[in-house]
Amino acid sequence: MELHFCGEFRASEWRRPIALPAFLTDAIAMSLLRPTLLLLSLLTVAGWAHGADTPPSRVVSINLCTDQLLLMLADADQIASVSYLSLQPESSFVAEEAQRYPVNHARPEELLALDPDLILTVEFTDRRLLGLLEKLGYRIAQLPMPTSISGIESNIRSLAKLLGQNARGEALIHQMQSMLSRIPHQPAHQRPKALFYQPRGYTSGIDTLQNEALALAGWSNLAANIGISGYSSIDLESLLLGQPDQIFSSAYTGETRSLAQRQLHHPALRHITHNRPIIEIPFKYWICGGPMIADAVAELHAALPKKQ
Amino acid sequence: MLGEIRQSRLLGLLVAAASSLFLFSLLFGSQTIPVFQALQETFDDTSSVLALILTEVRLPRALIALFAGATLGLCGAAMQAMLRNPLASPGLIGSASGAALGAVIALYFGSAALSQFSLPLGGILGSLGATLLVYLLAGRNAGTLTLILAGVAINSLTLALISLLLNLAPSPYAVQEIVLWMMGSLANSSMQNFWIMLPGTLLGWMLLLRVGRALDALTLGEETAQSMGIDLPRLRWRIFLAVALAVGSAVSVTGAIGFIGLVVPHMLRPFVGYQPGRLLAASALGGAILLLAADILVRLLPAQTEIKVGVVTALVGAPFFLYLIIKSRRYNQ
Repeated sequence: MELHFCGEFRASEWRRPIALPAFLTDAIAMSLLRPTLLLLSLLTVAGWAHGADTPPSRVVSINLCTDQLLLMLADADQIASVSYLSLQPESSFVAEEAQRYPVNHARPEELLALDPDLILTVEFTDRRLLGLLEKLGYRIAQLPMPTSISGIESNIRSLAKLLGQNARGEALIHQMQSMLSRIPHQPAHQRPKALFYQPRGYTSGIDTLQNEALALAGWSNLAANIGISGYSSIDLESLLLGQPDQIFSSAYTGETRSLAQRQLHHPALRHITHNRPIIEIPFKYWICGGPMIADAVAELHAALPKKQ
Repeated sequence: MLGEIRQSRLLGLLVAAASSLFLFSLLFGSQTIPVFQALQETFDDTSSVLALILTEVRLPRALIALFAGATLGLCGAAMQAMLRNPLASPGLIGSASGAALGAVIALYFGSAALSQFSLPLGGILGSLGATLLVYLLAGRNAGTLTLILAGVAINSLTLALISLLLNLAPSPYAVQEIVLWMMGSLANSSMQNFWIMLPGTLLGWMLLLRVGRALDALTLGEETAQSMGIDLPRLRWRIFLAVALAVGSAVSVTGAIGFIGLVVPHMLRPFVGYQPGRLLAASALGGAILLLAADILVRLLPAQTEIKVGVVTALVGAPFFLYLIIKSRRYNQ
């Protein structure tokens, strides 16, 4: 085995020094400080909004998933604020970078004060908040929650386009693809069986990022094989009858004292995998779809049983 | 009404029913497996999947249903006899919810190192505390209504405290487990769970072994019983302690499964000629039968997520409870 490509995927790698629309945002910043210039700048803003290819310059993201892609794709001075969730290292892939920006808690008052020209969020967002923002005339973009690599790519592309960062978007996709392509393909008959088993007995079936990651890493996903679709619970007997070689878990919290997490310590789970312990894959790889899935695939691949 | 049956015959029938349900519970699970092959592989000591399902998934579940059901049935019968109150039972007078509260404190807030022992211990202390509180609130010679009201008050309090504590628990999963503690479930039990509940359960049963004669005497009234040499305060303490030990240990593993302790003694009372002493063993077996049957039912019901076994016992038990109330109303008129 000579696979050492688990390069940490950091958003900062994707931030190059830029000189693009900085003068525009500076103008706004100054205008806010100097009331005399306010009218002029408002007129200019209105003028830009009509121009088709003027990128937004005060982007506010209110969801962790859009926070991460925004930090990877946008210029530093395009970003007005990211959500507080992006600061939490257990779930956020960009916790360090996010510290440089003001955070918001997706509260209407906060958002109005930030004066955004684009608000980013995902498809499942509080309807009342969105309705209010729309009524106030804000431009909102909602990204779908991807369940596959191609879904991640199309999210990156569409956000890059919105931000006027097409080249950076393509580069990000290319980086993810090249990391994925370095993982050797496992022939179908050599794929050991595995599944995700989460507290409360939940697993990831067809149409989930975990399913695609397992397949790319060279595992055969037991949950998908028995026809489970999406995130659903699997009963212990079905799990055992499937005879997994490895069980993965990816809980959004560390070990705490609860019945849900006790379930992962059922002795039958250890017996069935011949005492291989459950491998914990960090939740931040897929709580949001993004290029970091390549790191998850690499970790899953590294967990394949070594050939005797 | 069905008449009295000879004790040996009654117990024989109940043992036969309980053991067939126990075997049934090993035969049927969420998945169909060739049980005889599984049995063979278990005895061959090969570590096969089938043997694993039989011994690590179904066996602990059946054993816990057997012991927890028997505990609830037995304790219900003992409490009804001691308090001379047809509605006394672990579920109604707080023993079960108190046990759940104690177990919740031990599990979510206790120290990890002590967890094996602290869980049943928490259940036992919680059960004893809640039961005594109800007993003190209602007074020694409480009528049915007073006792039930005291029970309702303490049950509401413990359930509120369980909710509060699970909301405050450090684990993000805790809140979702409120229902589990309130309704009870046997799903995903392991042999470890069974070993945890066993010592307290057996100790509680042993304390109830020889109270039959005293309970029979008590049916003649407290004074008569005392004149017959029954030490009443000692009997009371013995039963409270036994209930706390057995129910506390069982509930700390299964959650508060309701109505078994209430319903089973009533169903079997006619068959034992209304003698509390004879009812104890019969009621223990009856409780085991009811819980095993309910647990088999939840496994066979086609549902995305398994239904909690306490839901089934409540669906059977609550109408019976209403029937008891209506019946007692007729008596009182």
